Amino acid sequence: MATRQFIMNAGRTTKQGRQINVGKDNAEYEEMVTTLIMHPDDIEDIGASVGASVRVRSENGEGTFVCQEHGGKEGKVPPGMVFIAYGPPTCKLMGQSTDGTGMPTSKGWEVEIEPLAAGEAPAEVETES
Amino acid sequence: MGGKVTCTLGEVKNRADFIIYWGGNPADCHPLHFSRYTLIPKGKHVPEGRKGRTMVLVDVRETPSAKHADILLQVKPGKDFEVITTLRALVKNQPVDAARVAETGLTLEQLQDFVDRMKNARFGVLFFGMGLSMTRGKHMNSAAALALVAELNAYTKFVSMPMRGHGNVTGADVVMRWTTGFPFGVSMSRGYPRFNPGEFSTIDVLVRGDNDATLVLGADPGATMPQPAIDHLARTPTIVLDPKVTHTSRLARVHITTATTGISAPGTVYRMDEIPLPLKPILESPYPTDEEVVHRILEKVKEKPAWTPASYKEVPCA
Repeated sequence: MATRQFIMNAGRTTKQGRQINVGKDNAEYEEMVTTLIMHPDDIEDIGASVGASVRVRSENGEGTFVCQEHGGKEGKVPPGMVFIAYGPPTCKLMGQSTDGTGMPTSKGWEVEIEPLAAGEAPAEVETES
Repeated sequence: MGGKVTCTLGEVKNRADFIIYWGGNPADCHPLHFSRYTLIPKGKHVPEGRKGRTMVLVDVRETPSAKHADILLQVKPGKDFEVITTLRALVKNQPVDAARVAETGLTLEQLQDFVDRMKNARFGVLFFGMGLSMTRGKHMNSAAALALVAELNAYTKFVSMPMRGHGNVTGADVVMRWTTGFPFGVSMSRGYPRFNPGEFSTIDVLVRGDNDATLVLGADPGATMPQPAIDHLARTPTIVLDPKVTHTSRLARVHITTATTGISAPGTVYRMDEIPLPLKPILESPYPTDEEVVHRILEKVKEKPAWTPASYKEVPCA
């Protein structure tokens, strides 16, 4: 197992857009926003596996995501980059500065990713204040 | 140079033979864009439809839109500004260092070919998304893209258009523009509009904790904004008007369920090319519309005594 630096891009997916019209208060939405899309070489490199939980840490916070290989409906990512659908877990990783533009930086964050240790429970995604 | 050289999506459909998507993924985020306006339709001056159009996708990753593209230019993250600046130099036949270009993840040959295609287009259009405007460089990236398009008009017809988000974000900007003169980040706290992104924009106000109450209309900042902004929404009285339970409604003190606009409530929505479209409701709802609720809140607010200091009343309105 190893910790490695990655570039994180958060974005929207069609599946997520459809689900917003159904409602976000369900397991399907939660699964979408806690899935991390990664290059297969990177998954192997950090010692994780498809379906395993990984910890993503940025300078602003951290969250737990489920690792998935790229090439599915969300497209491909180059080695060294990960993709996550926008949602409450990515809010914890984003910075609060808008650089005077009013717009947060939601893409291109440098993050550290490591697999969760055996027996370490993934953090619950907070849905209530 | 400032401003946006643009057109309507109808003109894109009928005229565009060269289409660029930069930092956007319409296959996922605007699923009807290709079929209704840009790639598939047969236009008046593009009778061949898809065969008469070339699409270039510029992105940091191979999104689902890539399979619809004729050319994919995969840029290194954070290098969009450098690529656009290089393109602007090549458009004007200025010398460019191939080694510096290589740092962007693309080659000089690729960019020269891109420029030649843009110049030789009959009607080109650049759509740019949040991959350009919400990554490092932000408004500088957008400004560079708008300048590139404006400069291309010395050689052919070229236009640009931002790929606006879901719902009616374009409408919010347009209405703010014709009511206050500014698109967003407007403060009315002195009784007249003041515009300053970074100071009056929503995230900055929430993160600094400047406001002591928030009214959220048809948005879910609790699932999209940076955590410190969400924390402030939870700390202070937040009122949410939304047809559904959302992350924001869960942390709000008050959630008023309203009718879904466009399905159960009429109104006007602005398409991303700023064309206003009327909405006809197709289903009845037991809930009031957002407009009715806001009007009722406003009536109650008017009953309260004014808080404005007397000296403020002497400031002449523009």
